[in-house]
Formats: sequence, structure tokens, C-alpha cells
Amino acid sequence: MADWNELSEALADYTISCNENERLRKMQRDWSRVLHFVCSDTAQNFSMDVDRGEIVSIRESHVGVPDIVVTATSETFCDMFWGDLNPVQKYLRGEIIVKGSQEDVMRLDAISYVIWPDS
Amino acid sequence: MGSATATATSAGLAFAAIDYLGVVSILAYAPGATAAFAILIGGLVVILVSAIFSELNGLYPTAAGIRLYLGRAIGNRTALSVTFTYMTTVVLVIAADAFLIGAAVRHVLNEPAVLAYVWIAVLLGIALAANLRGVRLAGWVQTVVTYTVLAGTSVLSVVALFHVGGAFKRPLDLFGGGTFSGIQAVAFALFLYAAFEWVTTTAEEARSPKVITRALFIAPALIWIVASVFALALSHLVSYSTLHGSAYPQLLLGRAALGTVGELWMLALTVMTALNTFNGGFLVASRFIYAAAREGNLPRQFARLNMNAVPWLAVTTLAGVSAATAAVVFATGEWLLLVSVGAAIECAIYAVGSLCLLILRSRVDRKRPFKMIAGRPLAIFGVVLFSLLFVATAFADPKNSTHFSVAPFTVIAILGSISTAYVLLVVPKLQRAAAARNAAARPRRRPSRPSAEDSDSNQVLGE
Repeated sequence: MADWNELSEALADYTISCNENERLRKMQRDWSRVLHFVCSDTAQNFSMDVDRGEIVSIRESHVGVPDIVVTATSETFCDMFWGDLNPVQKYLRGEIIVKGSQEDVMRLDAISYVIWPDS
Repeated sequence: MGSATATATSAGLAFAAIDYLGVVSILAYAPGATAAFAILIGGLVVILVSAIFSELNGLYPTAAGIRLYLGRAIGNRTALSVTFTYMTTVVLVIAADAFLIGAAVRHVLNEPAVLAYVWIAVLLGIALAANLRGVRLAGWVQTVVTYTVLAGTSVLSVVALFHVGGAFKRPLDLFGGGTFSGIQAVAFALFLYAAFEWVTTTAEEARSPKVITRALFIAPALIWIVASVFALALSHLVSYSTLHGSAYPQLLLGRAALGTVGELWMLALTVMTALNTFNGGFLVASRFIYAAAREGNLPRQFARLNMNAVPWLAVTTLAGVSAATAAVVFATGEWLLLVSVGAAIECAIYAVGSLCLLILRSRVDRKRPFKMIAGRPLAIFGVVLFSLLFVATAFADPKNSTHFSVAPFTVIAILGSISTAYVLLVVPKLQRAAAARNAAARPRRRPSRPSAEDSDSNQVLGE
């Protein structure tokens, strides 16, 4: 199990990787969403606010009305935010559960794919 | 997403232009008002499908849908092989709609036959451009379009029925042409409802699994009403010999009921069905291709995204294959073969869905939001029934109902063999290449953390 310190470290790296990737920012220019994350093993919750492709805030609780809710284990989240796993594989095996539109599910994976094409 | 939108999505996925031809296929085996009886029986059978998919969706409410049910029940390779074959029905429906709309527009404008190719190219070109630009139909537009098509078809059919009066011929004589002929009529009736279960791929958008369950039961009821009145009107106002060779029976009914106004009315509705087919079909199939490529089951080029976050190669390939299929259908005139192939694949999928439920009932002991009464015996019944209906459609020849044809089965066998060979021979190579690439590309990024043992020894050293 990963604790909040590990998760926030992964999220900080993920935020930098996303926000500094010009191609991704351009691709996600029309994508503004509130994401809620639920760690199924630790009951840790956190939120991510994306404004026109830029991650503007990450908070250690659920804030605002979510457009997307992602549920997985804390370890899966850590590996995902470090780019060490392929989110689609986990999703298709039912290990990552997403509540949101199909388009948003794809956009979420597209972030990982663009910043880590070899993941 | 609420119940009204989910129901519209389900009904919209099922009710495409090819359904008008589906009714003609039923008429081949169940003439006159008997067709409506076959559609009723088909609707009753579909209740079983609704219940099976409701329970599966409650267990795994995900866009991966049948892929995940199969993966958990039978194994990943089989799941992939079946899903690839299943996805070909999306291509068939897109191709069929492009062809049927092209043929209908050409007919109304009284253009030379060859211009149908131009219309097919124009329609698919527009759909391709819209998809590449990331244009999507808003949920409410899709809902309005679906209900307009269903209501418009029903109203015209009811108006047409006023010309008929109540003189329906042999309404209950389903097995008058033989037992197998009746079964074939029911199997083709099932095709009218086909793809309604794809609404399970929107499970993640639904407010709760109950929304999908409601849609799975209400949408077939709507289709039953529309298809029944359409079949009754069509069978009594237009002769079967005229329908037999026509790719646009709905236009013939429109003209018979209200003249030019009726013909234009049905043309407008036919064009509207394309909005749902092209929007939903392209979205479902291209995202499936993207996910398969990301997972390492298709060449990674199919996961390439353009600046609108659209998998452009997947969408373009889909449009190209659909255009080629539509052109072949037009050149050969074998549009009823599309109906037979589509109906048979759907029956096979329903048999497979029943099998998944049977296996998952014994393997997964999780609480479900929807649980079928007498699930196990009904699932066994489903496997047997839908296998029988598969045989009934896979060897059918709607052009000549007294003959059998191996053409639909041959097409399905070829598609299935290609899918299976690909999964067994190519996918392992792709996955090995992906693993090697990943290993060589970069080390694990996540910092390793000290284990409990390391922490203990550090503490000892520190002391």
C-alpha cells in the first residue's frame, strides 16, 4: 500500500510532466474537468482540477463536483502517475474503474500515452 | 446519464437504416401480418438478452463490456478473438448505412446508379472529417434524433395502415411455411433489436447500473412497437416482389402511403439514422481499436492521436474499410447478405453472453444490482436457443426463402478465422515486441522505497 506521501510525490512528478508537455497541452486545450480519485485499499481520496489541459490543483480530499471518478489501489495509482504501468491494461482487466464518459476515459489514458509513449 | 438518454442510446444503436431491410428479410419467411407476430416473438426472446446483459453489466459496469465478461469467464485470448469478430458487425452496419442512404438519396434524386458510389464516399467523408475533428453529437441531440426517427417511422406506418384497414392476412400463421422457416423469421426479427445491448459500453456514464437495466428493457419495447407497425404497413401496401429487389423499402412505403411527401419523409428519417450510426459506430469501434493498440494487441500505430485527441489511424482505417465494404455490397447487390451475417453474429454473441453468465454465476459470488430469476437454467436455455438461431440465420437465403445458403456462414467463418489466427499468431509477437521495447526504453521511474526489513536494519545500524 502506498501512503499519501508517496502518492503526492508521484502526483507532483505527473503534474510537471503534464504541464510541461506542449503537445499534450495543445491536445487537451478544450479539456477542463474535475477528477476524483478513490484508493480502494486505503480509503485515501484526492482530487485533481484540470483547466484547459493544465493541472491547476491537486487536493488531499474530494473537492467540487466530479466529472470523472477513478478507483484503483494506491499502488496502482502510484505506478500510473510515475508512468510505470499501462493504464489501459489495468482498465481492461477491471483493476482501474472509471466513472465518466467514454471520451473522458480515453482522454485520461491519452495523457499517459503522450507523456510516456513507451508505457 | 439518465434513463431517457440511456434508452435513446440503446434504441438509437439498434435502429439503423438496415433495420428497414431487416423487415424485408422477415417477410421472406413470415409473409403478411405474420411478420409482426415474428417481431413479437423476437421481442420476447430479447427480454432474455436484456436480463442476461443487465446482470453482466451489474457485475462489470465498464466500457470494456463483453470483452471483460468473456475475459473473466473464458479467457483473454477467446475474449479478444470474439470481440474482434463482434467489432466487424460495427463495420458492416456503418457500411450498410452508407450504402443504404446513398442508394436512397440517389433514388429520390433520380440519379444514375453509379452516383451511389459518390454518395457513399461523401457520407463517409463527412463522418470521417467530423470524427477526426473530434466533433461529437451532444447527448440531447442523439436523444432527439432517435425519438424523431422512431416516432416518424411509427406515424407514417400508422397513416399507411389507414389505407389497409383491419384486413390483416394470416396474422398468427408463423409456422405455415414450415417449422424451420418460422424459426428463421424469429431469428431475423432478433436482428431488428441487435446492438441495443451496446448501451452497456456507456455504463460508466450512467448514474447507476439501474439506468442501464431500464434502458435494456425499455428500448426493445420501443423498437418492437415501431418495427411491428412498419412491418404491418409494408407487408400490406407494397408487394413482396417489389420489396424483394429494393434497397429502400421504407421509401416505397412512404410513397405508397403519402406519395412524394411520404417518400421525402422517409428519406429524411433514413438520413437521420446515419447520425446515430456514424456517431456511435465510429466512436465505439475506433475507441476499441485504440484500446487494443494501447494494450499491445494491435500495432501501436493505431493508438496514434491527432491534436484533437482522436486516434486518427483507427478512425481513417474504419472509414476506408466501411467504404470498401459498402462499394462491394453495391457492386454485388448482396445487401440482404449483410442482414444475414449481422443477424447470425448477433445470435452468436447472445449465445456467448448466456455462456458468460452461466460461468460467472459459479465463479463470482459478488452482490449484483440485478440478478435474473432462475439464472442458471435460463442461461443454459439461452446458449441452446441462440445457437439454434445462429444456425437459422447463418444458412439463410432471404432472397429465396425455400433455399439454404452457405454464404452468411462462410463470411462469418472467414471473419472468425482471421480474428482467431491473428490472436494466436500475431498478438503474441506484438506483445513480446512491446515487452522488449518497454524493458529497453527506460528503467522504472518510481523511486524504490525501503522495505520493512531495510528500515529495521537501518535502525539497528543507527543505534
